[in-house]
Amino acid sequence: MSGAHPLHRVAIVGVAATEMARQLDTTSAEISMRAALAALDDAGLMVADVDGVAARWSGPGGTVFQPGSADWAEVFGQPLRWVCDTYPQGVPGALDAAAAVAAGLCETALVFGGQAGVMGGSAVADYTRPDNEFIACWGSLTAAQFALVAQVYRHRFAPDPEQVAAIAAAIRNAGSANPAAVMAGRGPYTAADVLASPMVAEPFRLLDLCLATEGAAAMVITTAERARDLPQPPVAILGGGAEWHRQQYVNPPRYDEVWGLGADAAQRAFELAELNPLDVDVFELYDINTYEVVRQFEMLGLCAEGEGADYLAEAGIGIDGRHPLNTDGGLLSYSHIGWGGPTLKIVEAVRQLRGTAGPGQVPNAEFALVTGAGSGAQYHNIMILGRG
Amino acid sequence: MEGLTGELEDRSLRPLTGEFWAAVNQGILVSPVCGNCHRSFFVPQLACPKCQSTDWTYEPSSGRGRVYSHTTVHRPPTPAFDAPYVLADVDVEEGWHLLTWIVGCEPDQVAIDMPVSVRFITGPDGQQLPAFAPHEAAQ
Repeated sequence: MSGAHPLHRVAIVGVAATEMARQLDTTSAEISMRAALAALDDAGLMVADVDGVAARWSGPGGTVFQPGSADWAEVFGQPLRWVCDTYPQGVPGALDAAAAVAAGLCETALVFGGQAGVMGGSAVADYTRPDNEFIACWGSLTAAQFALVAQVYRHRFAPDPEQVAAIAAAIRNAGSANPAAVMAGRGPYTAADVLASPMVAEPFRLLDLCLATEGAAAMVITTAERARDLPQPPVAILGGGAEWHRQQYVNPPRYDEVWGLGADAAQRAFELAELNPLDVDVFELYDINTYEVVRQFEMLGLCAEGEGADYLAEAGIGIDGRHPLNTDGGLLSYSHIGWGGPTLKIVEAVRQLRGTAGPGQVPNAEFALVTGAGSGAQYHNIMILGRG
Repeated sequence: MEGLTGELEDRSLRPLTGEFWAAVNQGILVSPVCGNCHRSFFVPQLACPKCQSTDWTYEPSSGRGRVYSHTTVHRPPTPAFDAPYVLADVDVEEGWHLLTWIVGCEPDQVAIDMPVSVRFITGPDGQQLPAFAPHEAAQ
């Protein structure tokens, strides 16, 4: 790396994830703040070092303008130089914070969010029930929006259901081995188990779909220069990009428009990183459902359209495979926590590159790929991380 | 989902989309049609997504189209909905598309590219909705 690109002048120096569970006996604000302070502690920094905050939770509480946000300068007891609460999570949150640090708008940005005390009851999580007037009246849910995309793929390419189910089983088995996962110790799962689970929205069965759980995640981004004096090995953002195709959950996503979503962002990210997808040692992909995993390998150009399930069966997605995937159990089995779920991908990627990922550690992982969102959401984002 | 519980609001008074719902209440399917480039679009937007003209009006649709994609929902998002039901993205003849339900046949009879026609139904909240049925069955 020449260090010339602004993204190459920053580093991720702290990450944290709280405990994860189906329901936690606390509030979104409390658990989010706990993750934030833990990430600072991980970075060897103090609240006084923070001059940028990007954060949001699923409510309740917050400000008039942003119900899931807060008066961050008041909360942290000091004036701030940069605040962002539009999309402060995952890849966009990291890239926004990195850009702010690189531009000198702030020096140390804390990005965090999560949810607690909000799940349960007879309805699915509110963020999975799009409230648009042309969507809600039909009883749609995010799984169904993604299903509309997957159904066209099935119609055109007829992937082997066992191969697709095997992807869910492999990710869930990684989660089974992760003591921090909501589904820790559950399983092992086979493709047959996935195919025997109840249908939710065709073609997705229960075990094809991500969790909706509680917990919080956080990360700290500062200058590469400052990172050198901090205790953790810094993690560099080698490349990144986003694609916003449509506002999510307004018009139904169309296979012909969204199956390749992310390809342009990926090309830009890999060019910036001076790498190609085969260089990636560990993939932390947004596994909101199994077909999205298939889709992303096709989008990355690692196989042709329609061949993803075949390709992954041959390549292998376990720690010993060619493409170690979602080593913490992913959104399917580790956790998905609303505002904060996408950040969990970065937390795991950073731990992989530090060599501290636990049972899912890929030996000597040098380059990690993180993604967020997906076809049914009509936006996608990608980031390549490496040892700083 | 506020519309599914408590007192029903008058959808026809909504800004931008009220005329669509007012037509649905009368059993007429309409969509925005641009006065400048004459293209139909959906959902209603402040400006035509093709030419950015704000000179558009709601015009009647033939109500005929084809299934672009469909999924049968077995686990509804809230208890207000009785599963299973068939969600579909229908391409309407005038070149616009919408999320809807396919009714008038068994879920396993719904297929991609199947010709369908609009059929107004009463939704779970008691309001009229533009669903679609197989074209033969829609008559």
